[in-house]
Amino acid sequence: MHLRWPFRRQVKEWFSVSLRDTLVLLAIMLAAAAFCALSRQVFDSSDSWASMVFVLAVLFTAINTSGYLYGVLAALIGVVGVNYVFTYPYFAFNFTMQGYAFTFAGMLAVSIATSVLATRLKRQEYLRAETEKEKMRANLLRAVSHDLRTPLTNIAGASGVLLEGGDRLSGAQQRELLRGVNQDAKWLIRVVENLLSITRIGAGEAAGLHKEPQPAEEIISEAVQKFRKNFAGMPVRVEVPRLLLMVPMDALLIEQVLLNLMENAVYHAKNATYIQIQALREGQRAVFLVRDNGEGVPAELLGALFSGSIPAEKRATSDGRRNMGIGLSVCSTIVEAHGGRMTARNLPGGGAEFAFSLPLEEKEEPDGSEG
Amino acid sequence: MEVRDKILVVEDDAGICNVMVAVLSTNRYEVLTAASGRQADTLVRSHCPDLVLLDLGLPDLDGLELIRRVRGWSGMPIVVVSARSQEADKVAALDAGADDYIVKPFGAEELLARIRTALRHARSAGVSAEIARTGRLRVGGLEIDYDKRQVAVDGQPVHLTPNEYKILALLGKNTGRVLTYDAIIQELWGPGTQSDNQILRVNMANIRRKIEKNPAEPQYVFTEAGVGYRMAEEK
Repeated sequence: MHLRWPFRRQVKEWFSVSLRDTLVLLAIMLAAAAFCALSRQVFDSSDSWASMVFVLAVLFTAINTSGYLYGVLAALIGVVGVNYVFTYPYFAFNFTMQGYAFTFAGMLAVSIATSVLATRLKRQEYLRAETEKEKMRANLLRAVSHDLRTPLTNIAGASGVLLEGGDRLSGAQQRELLRGVNQDAKWLIRVVENLLSITRIGAGEAAGLHKEPQPAEEIISEAVQKFRKNFAGMPVRVEVPRLLLMVPMDALLIEQVLLNLMENAVYHAKNATYIQIQALREGQRAVFLVRDNGEGVPAELLGALFSGSIPAEKRATSDGRRNMGIGLSVCSTIVEAHGGRMTARNLPGGGAEFAFSLPLEEKEEPDGSEG
Repeated sequence: MEVRDKILVVEDDAGICNVMVAVLSTNRYEVLTAASGRQADTLVRSHCPDLVLLDLGLPDLDGLELIRRVRGWSGMPIVVVSARSQEADKVAALDAGADDYIVKPFGAEELLARIRTALRHARSAGVSAEIARTGRLRVGGLEIDYDKRQVAVDGQPVHLTPNEYKILALLGKNTGRVLTYDAIIQELWGPGTQSDNQILRVNMANIRRKIEKNPAEPQYVFTEAGVGYRMAEEK
């Protein structure tokens, strides 16, 4: 979220204290000490190991903790510990030893260098994830702006004409213009509903989800009800299992997914005469299928449907402006935020099938093999 | 002279207000408007409208607060019109005493239908007039006999458990209205019951399997996801 870390914050990050990291430090140090003690038993007084082992320990600590604090601490413990326990005289400090300063400086240098590298690496990963998110957001924004611009132009144009010279137009012409305005406004409502869904998910984390076990049939029936309000002409058949299927989900968001898929069938499935929705249970997943009997999805688009990355020229449809960019990428974003997966395929007998699965268990499930 | 129902529209956006006034007055309602909560409060007291259409996002007063104020002295129907679409907002408004909730953007038909339902309910004082007169309720093929505590679909008796019957009977007394999960649970199991709605959801799934042809395409009891249930209007 924050591309540039303010300096004070950064200092805080460098020297952040956490229970986890403290435990990591202790565990690694103890392991190193134990190893040295053991090796002394086995190989007898081969204490030249000790420094090496502790240098390694410092390295691992620096990698596995955040910031510099623990790496430096590990180096200090290492230097002091090696001196006290594993070098002659045992269990006493001896700072007069030859080259001691070098050992100390060396370990400190190793630890700081590793910490710097590890921190930088983590930061880079963070930045990469951030850029990825940013890219997704930019794609979505582009798709949205495109989806908004055309209907807005129509609304502004048509209403302008009606205001300026409405009386010179025939009644039928006026109605035609008004119908366009009305249709475009309804389209804008769709787009905005989708945008709201995305803001509910937030920055892509599952934190914004309001997950509760919901009966699949209730969610489907509500989505179908909403759909019928706007598209009374398209018959929808629904099939649910006899046994009640409770699925943990954010009801409003999954409804939005179903609604998008049904509306897509209206806008994009050429010659579709009905839509079929089915819910079923497959092992530890609930699967929702939305099928139509139209002409299917062009093969070259199938792979890129959900990424929102279909080039604008390719996704232009029969009427040249209703594209499926935002609807489907919103769908897959929602489904993925639920820990589910979304797929699309063309049916052998004609028509397209969009399917998404949601895990039935609250905890993370390894991907179901029957998919 | 005909007496028209008087509706108070509380809405601070002039554009939406104009549209609602146009829709309502062409459908033979008398319309008053208020652009702020305080103004609405005054108008409600001085004019005693038959119904209030209330936008929750007012400049000076929270809509929920206004509902509570009105409910302090009157049972007049309040239909909330709001751009807030989260379940929690709907539940809060309904539990505060609103009769119904419409999310913006909405169609004129839907608005009018909800207004008619709310007005009819106000007239029959919560219990459907038909139930009061005949002791039973008919919605399409569904018949609830309140005297004998029996339910039949298309003339065929349906066997419900006591809880299932209670849920259906409660919804039947409030046809066309959304009852929140909490409201139903309180009514069935008494106040202070843990508001875990899972049991209710499972009960409803069982009821649907007994009375609906296809539980995923209900004709009698509809779901308002995350909010509650609503029984279809009598036909």
